Amino acid sequence: MSGTRATVLGVMAAAPATFVTLAVLLFAARELSGTTPLSNGPPRNVAEAAGGGEVSEVLRFLRDGQDPREIWLLRPEIISSTVTRATGLEAAIWSGQPLVELLDRRGFIADSATRHHLACLAKDIGSGEVAAYLSPGVDPPCATGAAFAILKERSQTVASPAR
Amino acid sequence: MIAARATRWTWLAYGYAALVACALGYGLLGMPVQVSDSLNNILQASQDSPLHLVYNEFYQRGYLRPFLWGLIRLVFDLSQGHYFEWFRGWHVGQVAVLAGLFVALLRVRRAADAAVVPLGLAALVGIHTFSGTIREAFPINTFMTILLCCYASAWLALGTPRWWRDVAAALLLVFSALTVESGLLIAVIFVAAWLAGARGISRAGVVAQVALVAGYFVLRFVVLGVGAPGLDERASGFGFGVLDRNQLTARFGANPLPFYAYNIAASLSSLFFSEPSGGTFQITQRVLAGQASTLNLVSVGVSALGTALILGYVWSRRAEWRARRFTADDQLVAIFFAVAAANAAICYAYTKDVILSPAGAFYALALAVAARHYIARASQTAVRTAAAGVVLVLLSSGWGFRAVAAQIDLRHAAEATRVEWAYVDRWLGDQGVAPTTDQGRAIVTHLQEDAIWNHPVRPRLAGDWLEMFEP
Repeated sequence: MSGTRATVLGVMAAAPATFVTLAVLLFAARELSGTTPLSNGPPRNVAEAAGGGEVSEVLRFLRDGQDPREIWLLRPEIISSTVTRATGLEAAIWSGQPLVELLDRRGFIADSATRHHLACLAKDIGSGEVAAYLSPGVDPPCATGAAFAILKERSQTVASPAR
Repeated sequence: MIAARATRWTWLAYGYAALVACALGYGLLGMPVQVSDSLNNILQASQDSPLHLVYNEFYQRGYLRPFLWGLIRLVFDLSQGHYFEWFRGWHVGQVAVLAGLFVALLRVRRAADAAVVPLGLAALVGIHTFSGTIREAFPINTFMTILLCCYASAWLALGTPRWWRDVAAALLLVFSALTVESGLLIAVIFVAAWLAGARGISRAGVVAQVALVAGYFVLRFVVLGVGAPGLDERASGFGFGVLDRNQLTARFGANPLPFYAYNIAASLSSLFFSEPSGGTFQITQRVLAGQASTLNLVSVGVSALGTALILGYVWSRRAEWRARRFTADDQLVAIFFAVAAANAAICYAYTKDVILSPAGAFYALALAVAARHYIARASQTAVRTAAAGVVLVLLSSGWGFRAVAAQIDLRHAAEATRVEWAYVDRWLGDQGVAPTTDQGRAIVTHLQEDAIWNHPVRPRLAGDWLEMFEP
């Protein structure tokens, strides 16, 4: 009888930890097979990568030829349900100054209108660090909320062009 | 002594250890060679001839780690430019050997032995002191190297007496002590095992261990004048916060003994209860603020339960221990307590989770031993069996939960490392370590290609469930 009880206790000691190991292996196997369990999947374009702060993926998309100045479709879970059409540059504002600076150094923020729009967007979403980087030494003159409103409106317009 | 022949349960346990190594290996291969602590080491190790590199490390100030550099250079040369495959593969290989040694030390022969292997391995991977051995690399994780040396030492000490074990023990001590300071714990393992009746190493072998440790201190402090890191070397956790170097000097510069005593006590508490961490009582602070995560509570809970089980084992064996009659299981537990005490003492000037990793690795072994005996003792009556069942399920689930947390932490670290690679040029400039040679620049480019393009980041985990695993 005590042997049976010992067996039961042995199973109780082993089962939960074994289950965890097998679950991790199953997860790994599924991921290796190309599915993405417990995840929203990899970013689909440079804007999604920028919005999600996945800098290494931004670099990969750039090398693949994607242009962060173009408007891209974003899934609602990347930034928010109100921002679903944005350029890679706009999306990068949500990730912070280092990524914006990286894109700037690569020459993607070439004209002052884009720089101004991005600075105002940064102010609208409360990213003072990015705004200060894009408009060093001066508080950019912006109509409060206007830059973000452009994004929201674009996202709500189904017919607006996006890749 | 480890004598009985292997059974099917032995092979089943090794098979399970291989599965654990695969699971952890998958996480480790998701991590590129790192920027901080790795890139500069690779650049430095690649510049000089191997012999000069090792020789020069004997004359550093504060640290004496020549074999650490020798090993980096060895793997660097072996890689022939395949840095990711070799350095990350080396890490996976280390984990696989560690898991195998864990099973070897438990001497699995019966079903009851095999039953505690999953719990023990979950504790090995899940304990907070293990995290630093997998989430970092320099680019070879020195602390993982020491864990392997520790387990190998215990295996030598608990085996059948042979002359070559004495020789291997001496070589192992020299290698580990000159890899990182905590390698001196190897001697503690041999002495503790011998005092607990293990005779894998002879009396002469143990005397040689003591002599080598004495020789190490003479070499370090008298011959080479390497010295030891000072109180103002780095910031350190204390109470609910972290004291920076100036605060440490102001508070303890005149009399550092209370600070040293705090670090030793904090290290022991960290080992037995998973709190504090790095000298800081973070979980306590979060509990007081009502912000503790599930992982926080589980960590402290299963550590306390596991410690209680180990202490219960010692209590049940007290009469035998007083009579100096030790079984192989007793010897493992005795080694754990000796390593815990010595490891905590090593942390006197600076306590950090990963420095405690040798004691953490033996905690997992002691827990498995204690669980094995608990199963045997508790199965005598139905009531005790029911209570023991609850305890064992809680332990196994809790440590399994912590093992998953370790995997998630590894994944987050892999993503953070790739961010570092994206900004590597700026980092090299900020640190003032930008390579000046073509070879150095080629290494940086190669490693960045590996981290971002050849081995891209895995999809980021998502979902509310992740909140449970917040550290």
